Amino acid sequence: MTRYLVQRLLAALFTIWVTTVAVTLLIHAVPGDPVRIMYAKFQATPEQIEAIRSRLGLDEPIWVQYGMFMGRLFEGDLGRSIVGDQPVLDILLTRFPPTLLLASASLLIALVIGLSLGFLAAYKRGTATDIAAMVIAILGVSIPHFWLGLILLFVFALQLGWLPVAGSDLRSLILPAVTLGAANAAVLARLTRSAMIDIFDQDFVRTARAKGLPKSIVLYRHALRAGLVPIVSMMGLQFAYMMGGAIVVENVFAWNGVGRLAIQAVFARDYPMIQGFILVFATVVVLVTVVIDLLYAWLDPRIRYG
Amino acid sequence: MATSVDLSEQAVPAAAPVRGGFLRALLRSPSGAVGLVIVLTLVLAAIFAPYIAPFDPLRMAAGPRLSPPSLDYLFGTDDFGRDVFSRVVYGTRLTLQIGLIAVGISLTSGLLLGLVGGYGGGWTERILMRGVDILFSFTEIVIALACLAILGTGLTNAMIAVGIASIPFYARITHSVVLVEKNKPYFESAISAGAGHLRLIFVHLLPNVVPTIIVVGTLGISTAVLAAAGLSFLGLGAQPPAPEWGFMLAASRDLISRAPWNMIFPGLAIAITVLGFNLLGDGIREVLDPRQQRR
Repeated sequence: MTRYLVQRLLAALFTIWVTTVAVTLLIHAVPGDPVRIMYAKFQATPEQIEAIRSRLGLDEPIWVQYGMFMGRLFEGDLGRSIVGDQPVLDILLTRFPPTLLLASASLLIALVIGLSLGFLAAYKRGTATDIAAMVIAILGVSIPHFWLGLILLFVFALQLGWLPVAGSDLRSLILPAVTLGAANAAVLARLTRSAMIDIFDQDFVRTARAKGLPKSIVLYRHALRAGLVPIVSMMGLQFAYMMGGAIVVENVFAWNGVGRLAIQAVFARDYPMIQGFILVFATVVVLVTVVIDLLYAWLDPRIRYG
Repeated sequence: MATSVDLSEQAVPAAAPVRGGFLRALLRSPSGAVGLVIVLTLVLAAIFAPYIAPFDPLRMAAGPRLSPPSLDYLFGTDDFGRDVFSRVVYGTRLTLQIGLIAVGISLTSGLLLGLVGGYGGGWTERILMRGVDILFSFTEIVIALACLAILGTGLTNAMIAVGIASIPFYARITHSVVLVEKNKPYFESAISAGAGHLRLIFVHLLPNVVPTIIVVGTLGISTAVLAAAGLSFLGLGAQPPAPEWGFMLAASRDLISRAPWNMIFPGLAIAITVLGFNLLGDGIREVLDPRQQRR
């Protein structure tokens, strides 16, 4: 286990390191002069532009810039946002928690709906229930979540008035979380169905049934537990998808997370903000994925010793 | 990207011989038949848009402002008095174009990376596939946003961004197929017959990756359409007055309680397009991989 743990952590660190290089290079990939593009709206004089360029260190050779970037990074300094004129890290620290909350709530919803729908479909394979569940699932995969969000907003907030249109409390979390959870519930339902069908066909399930165990014990203790293994292995990826999806869904519901911030930063060409966002976002996703993978390895000894 | 990719569908085993014609087999599967009908309808709508749409999609005051759906304006009108039906019909052109271009970019690049990585082995493989893994963990939306931050916003750049963001996905799948094919006897005999690198890659490996790539590419059009519509919805893609569905949805937000038809029809169009390519991809897979059919 220790060896596996060390390997996974090293791989994660390497990914984060590559991200630091990538965000440093990002600003140099911009066609034209990034400083001019950034400050286009501010009508800066050529002298001011040069002053900003040297403040950002963009007149230095690229390896010096990378050194400066890493040096500041270890002091917890990600630079200042051009638009917000605040330290990037401070802004990110207030904007990340709402996004994490939204992604976690959506994942929970996706799990509950997806697993039950997939399990039901597999158990009733070939029946009308199975077909209905899979039709729902393919519709769920195909409906754009920003559209689903608008429809839910229209029905539950504007027409029925049951839930707020926007806000930052738990009641305002319901609509965005259901929106984001629904699409991934559909993905999970299809996944669960095929995993469970594989399990139902296996010898140990047949043996359990043949030796006269009650159906519910065979289903829940034998089949479901084995079926969960491939599902749990997907959780890291699912979480990453939720984080990505949150970026779009936040904009439907004015949920004040990091997604809205990122879109605004891309619009405004606020490069320090974009760099900080990518770095922190990638780090969070990578670390959460590692934690989930380790949990999975702890649950399934075949991985640890494999 | 904006949507998640169904991972249960990643591994498509190599093609089994199809009896009795591909098209007939495709039409026998319910998803294949429905998917094909939807996709063909979309293609026809795109080609014959000028004959189907009663109005110029950009013409303001083609009718009264915010008129609800009626016989004259099937899907109603927007706040500029433009005919929503005409805009949705013309939007098909943009959407299919976006889907094909984005998938074209990600598929060719991903295919090459996967082929070279899988065939090359050793350090080439390790470096390429490690890079792909890293890109994968960035998530597609972040890669797309980074591309847009570099290139600037706009529909063309959004297509490129969506295309680039999916390269890791196609590279991984191609790689996994190549790993299987590489160990098959036909490939080993081609090596011992003295075939060169290019011949081995393009004459021997590529044709065996194609069936998987057709399935994944068809499903990928769905993902690309969703992603690009998502970027346009965020305002990063299509710009006014383009009749692009994602952009139309974004514009409908302020009208949502007064004129919900502006929100309903473009969204429905995206959903049907995505559904069509999803079903078609599923159908093709069923034909190419009969193991799935028995389920």
